[in-house]
Amino acid sequence: MGIELLGQVSINALMLSSMYILMALGFALLLSIMGVVNFAHSVIYMAGGYICYQFAVVFGVNQWLSLVVATLIMAFLGFFLERYCFRPFFGDPDRTIVIALALIVLLESSVNILVGSYVRSLPSFAPGVLRWRGVSLSVERLVTFIIGAVLMFALILFIRKSKIGQQMLAVAQESVGAALQGINIYRVSAVATVIACGLAAVAGSLMGAINNLNPYMGDQMLVKAIEVVILAGIGSIGGVLGAGLILGTLDSFLPLLLSGSATDAVGLAIVILILLFRPQGLFGHEA
Amino acid sequence: MKTAGLTTVIVLLFALPLLVRQPYYIHTFIITLIYVILVSSLRLVALSGQVSVGHAAFMGIGAYFSAIISKEFGVTPWLTIPLGGLASMAVAVLVGFPFTRVRAIYFSMVSLFGGIMIVNLIRVAKRWTGAAGLAGIPPLTPIEIPGLVTITFLGQKVPHYYFTLLLTLVCLLCLHRLEHCRIGMTWKGVAQSHLVASSVGINEAGLRVLALAVGCFFAGIAGAWYAHYNLVVTPNTFGFLPSIFLVMYMLVGGRDRFAGPIVGTAILVMVPEFFRSLKEFAPLILGGIMVLVVFLMPRGIAGLFDQIGAHRGAPARKEAKNAA
Repeated sequence: MGIELLGQVSINALMLSSMYILMALGFALLLSIMGVVNFAHSVIYMAGGYICYQFAVVFGVNQWLSLVVATLIMAFLGFFLERYCFRPFFGDPDRTIVIALALIVLLESSVNILVGSYVRSLPSFAPGVLRWRGVSLSVERLVTFIIGAVLMFALILFIRKSKIGQQMLAVAQESVGAALQGINIYRVSAVATVIACGLAAVAGSLMGAINNLNPYMGDQMLVKAIEVVILAGIGSIGGVLGAGLILGTLDSFLPLLLSGSATDAVGLAIVILILLFRPQGLFGHEA
Repeated sequence: MKTAGLTTVIVLLFALPLLVRQPYYIHTFIITLIYVILVSSLRLVALSGQVSVGHAAFMGIGAYFSAIISKEFGVTPWLTIPLGGLASMAVAVLVGFPFTRVRAIYFSMVSLFGGIMIVNLIRVAKRWTGAAGLAGIPPLTPIEIPGLVTITFLGQKVPHYYFTLLLTLVCLLCLHRLEHCRIGMTWKGVAQSHLVASSVGINEAGLRVLALAVGCFFAGIAGAWYAHYNLVVTPNTFGFLPSIFLVMYMLVGGRDRFAGPIVGTAILVMVPEFFRSLKEFAPLILGGIMVLVVFLMPRGIAGLFDQIGAHRGAPARKEAKNAA
């Protein structure tokens, strides 16, 4: 493998990892704080990408500004989602799954109706190629990685240092106990949902510029996010970083050797194998 | 009264081709019946406390196995359809032992990964499965009863409908018996508490594998039947979204009752088909039904009877309390 290829694959691996981690952190927050298996995370990712497209391409707004607008709109949707879709069914996983699936159906078909099911593409956020000692790297992928890394460290810092972040950890451990200590668990879950949806929208917009936009783009990403969360172990925030890096690396190096479907199959086989030896995930502490 | 209602429904289903002439609607009914088998078998797996989110992949194993055997070796589909079920069951046993090491949400997610992996492997095995889709699957061979009738299947919806109905009834009967016999009760016990179950000497891991295997057997049969009816199978039919849709049919119907998956599938598969003229707006109706069910019927559509019963029973209970 030449150094050129190695450089490109590595930056690709870092970029993919950071996007997987952004998605997985949101999914993990909802799963550990509210016990919600939010399958709708995929359509929020997709909708984020489409809103960014709508503002940047159709309305001609500055692309970075449209990214922020998409994030804010999706974060607001997250607020709504927690208040009216998850809170009424607190502690009833069956109904939250059905409402999440209803959201998938509704949002996917709305996008189909509004923009059509054919593929669209966002223009590149940062076009250009960086050359350094004979290695050329795509600036866009580098920027995507940097945004992802900054956001995920900001989130981890937020969880570790801020009061509401600490409350999140407490609710994740034991929601009744946390409520007894005077923590408003609804406010904590609202903040978590807003953050999760915002991060998904950022990931959707950035990935929409790198790949393409289509109404079903979230499915693949959702599976990856779930893989990362389960591999890390539910309840482990730091583990998500490790697991995300592992999967991102696998997904960028394996295609050099295998076809697309085979890559996914091998990745999944590795995740299943690890789970069989550590049923609680790589970094989780209990089953 | 219950028997009378059931008899009416079955008689109506048998009389259906006389009432409905359009082949398209008959087709919708056939597909619905196949999905009824699938979702009911998924409920059987869920009885033992494990919600599989990769059930469509097991349908795919049955479909591809039966299709390939009958296509490559010229075996009659009547023989390969049970074989498809057995193949699906064999895979379920094989993956069941490792998969049952994990529980609850972890099991659901591992089965999800397993399902996607199976579909990816189907795509990789191009030589037999044709990657993007397998066409030219032999149709069901004609049945000849000498001196009486010959039933041909190719291009005929009505015979297909009757045989699908028969298959569905037989499968549902088996599933119902299984649920209400001793094994079924043990499965429910394992679901409630695996610790208690194993402390009274129940081999709970083995029983969970058994539940998965039996459920996947019926899923494989349904898949194989689908393959020989549709004559074309594509991996996407068995992927990630179809698998979660099966779970959705079960939950919307209500997983507490045997009728739940049947009602849920009937409504969620048929309603969007009947509103097909609305084109891309049809899924919105589906989403609307789901939202209604979630907000109004906490135990699913079939749980509505319990809800009404509880509502009626409430004043009576209050009186009983006052008397005491």
